[in-house]
Amino acid sequence: MARLQLKNVNKRWGSFVGVDNFDLDIADQEFLVLLGPSGCGKSTTMRMIAGLEDVTDGEIWLGDRMVNDLEPKDRDISMVFQSYGLYPNLSVYENIRFPLRVRKVPKEKHHEMVMKAVEMVELADFMDRRPAELSGGQRQRVALGRAIVRKPTVFLMDEPLSNLDAKLRVSTRAQIKNLQSKLKTTTVYVTHDQIEAMTLADRVVVMNRGRIQQVGTPTEIYDWPANTFVASFIGSPAMNLVEGRLDGGTFTGDGIRVEGLPTATSGKVTLGFRAEDAEIVPEGGEIAAPMYSIELLGEASMITWRLGGALVSVKTAKDFRAEIGDTVRARIPARICHLFDTATGQRIDTK
Amino acid sequence: MSDLANRKPLPLALLSAVFVLCWLVIAAFPFLWTMWGSFKVEGDFFSRADWMNAITGPVTERQYGSPFTLAGYEGAWVQQEFWRAVVNTAIVTVFVVLISLTLGTLGGYALARSGFRYTFWLLMAALVFRAMPHVTLVSGYLLPFFQLNVWGYLPTTIIVLVAINQPFTLWMLHSFFLSIPKDLDEAAMVDGCTRFQAFRLAIIPVMWPGVVTTGLFSFLLAYNDFTVTSMLLSQENATMIPKINSFLGSTQEEGKVMYAVAAVVSAIVPLFVLILFFQRQIVSGLTAGAVKG
Repeated sequence: MARLQLKNVNKRWGSFVGVDNFDLDIADQEFLVLLGPSGCGKSTTMRMIAGLEDVTDGEIWLGDRMVNDLEPKDRDISMVFQSYGLYPNLSVYENIRFPLRVRKVPKEKHHEMVMKAVEMVELADFMDRRPAELSGGQRQRVALGRAIVRKPTVFLMDEPLSNLDAKLRVSTRAQIKNLQSKLKTTTVYVTHDQIEAMTLADRVVVMNRGRIQQVGTPTEIYDWPANTFVASFIGSPAMNLVEGRLDGGTFTGDGIRVEGLPTATSGKVTLGFRAEDAEIVPEGGEIAAPMYSIELLGEASMITWRLGGALVSVKTAKDFRAEIGDTVRARIPARICHLFDTATGQRIDTK
Repeated sequence: MSDLANRKPLPLALLSAVFVLCWLVIAAFPFLWTMWGSFKVEGDFFSRADWMNAITGPVTERQYGSPFTLAGYEGAWVQQEFWRAVVNTAIVTVFVVLISLTLGTLGGYALARSGFRYTFWLLMAALVFRAMPHVTLVSGYLLPFFQLNVWGYLPTTIIVLVAINQPFTLWMLHSFFLSIPKDLDEAAMVDGCTRFQAFRLAIIPVMWPGVVTTGLFSFLLAYNDFTVTSMLLSQENATMIPKINSFLGSTQEEGKVMYAVAAVVSAIVPLFVLILFFQRQIVSGLTAGAVKG
């Protein structure tokens, strides 16, 4: 149980900046997700917390200890790797017992502790098998079991689900969430999958190019993206972003005109809104343009236009029908709109 | 289904069977011939009258009252003290294998896990040294060894053999270590191991086939070496191969050639046992290294 603090942490390789000034305070028992595209520095950040990568600059505090110069083994953390990192020559039971053995936990306690972990990850039937004889999901559960067998202060999980198939990913995700709430251990979880981030996290850190873009609860990040990167990264489909001009509270772009935006700024801006917030209307509407495509999603249909080079989508009822090229209209009320500065990408606060 | 795929026309099956048989005979014949002949006397095994004498052994029968005799073995092992050569070979091979493997696993692991560019050049340099004929190293060493007065001793030979062997073990083990994911070391370190414990507890158990294979090749190099051992060892410290050579070099005295033949057979037998014993590890080790390294 511990609070984890990263104070202005930097990682550089020569002139290449991997992580730029990462500053974050992670509360005890918090489930924190680092989210970003590949190469954004999220894994590097985690590896620095684990001690597998040196910190170029800044400090990492675990509880009341500065851990920068500690070996991984002395940091009292446990980690789940993307490729599991199981010991192929050991059985499931021995894999889970390994941390106890090397940490010199008294032998008589081993069996009870291992059995408790095995129980939690539901592997009681597979204890004598080797990792090679297990499926991907089972292997990942062994790795989880090995991580929870002793009580570490922090769990680190490096894309633990990305090698699993879609169905297994959903169930293992739920299992991880459940485990963490039972164990109440501070957890840092790295992923590039925004759905994983949204479902698991207490707080999400969105990263890009080594920098923190936004920190917030999943709802905050979804409803209140701090810049165009976060807006375009979070959500499926991502937020629609249209470039245009703002003048006296009226946004004008190619095929779109939104009035009554509560802002005094003017100039070049990017307007953003979510596909599910807008609606298709027969008359009027802020968008009136030839339809680019229609996709049936099952529970809904997705109507797409091409406005000024960007694709803009709106969700509508599943029985909506139109031909490609027909003029289709949509209502975009000012209250669902987000405004971003086109040049910097930063949010222009409308409140 | 596999039956259908494996079914061959009869002539082809016959032809391949005959081919394999021929190959077996050609490959095995020299060994079998030597082994059979080692129980004869020189007059039979090197008979000028009739080559069949080597098989039936009439001279041997006349001399010893039986077509088989252990005279060659007795001469080599007892009179010529071939057992000394065996002991020397054992010492040389055991130490060469141990030292090569120790340096090779540590060095190969370090090179495989190091992110620095110089590892490539180190390995390239190793390859160059590996490619050099052994005799270049020996001729360079000869003079300093005389001057330091260390010529003729077993440790000197062991050092030179290790030097010749090390580039190869380094390469081989390096590629084995590369085939083991880095996650394994890192998982072990997070689980509470030091770097060295991670190496010992997590990596080496997985590496075992690779270590056995590399160790076997080191063993064969030391066991079969002639260039280095014949030039660097004094007569009393000679290993088996130069000793056999010295038997062959003194044909004037009758019977001595048979010592060589008996000694050759004595030297081959341990190899057979070893290969049979380790064949599974060797095959898995070789393929693992070849495919993934």
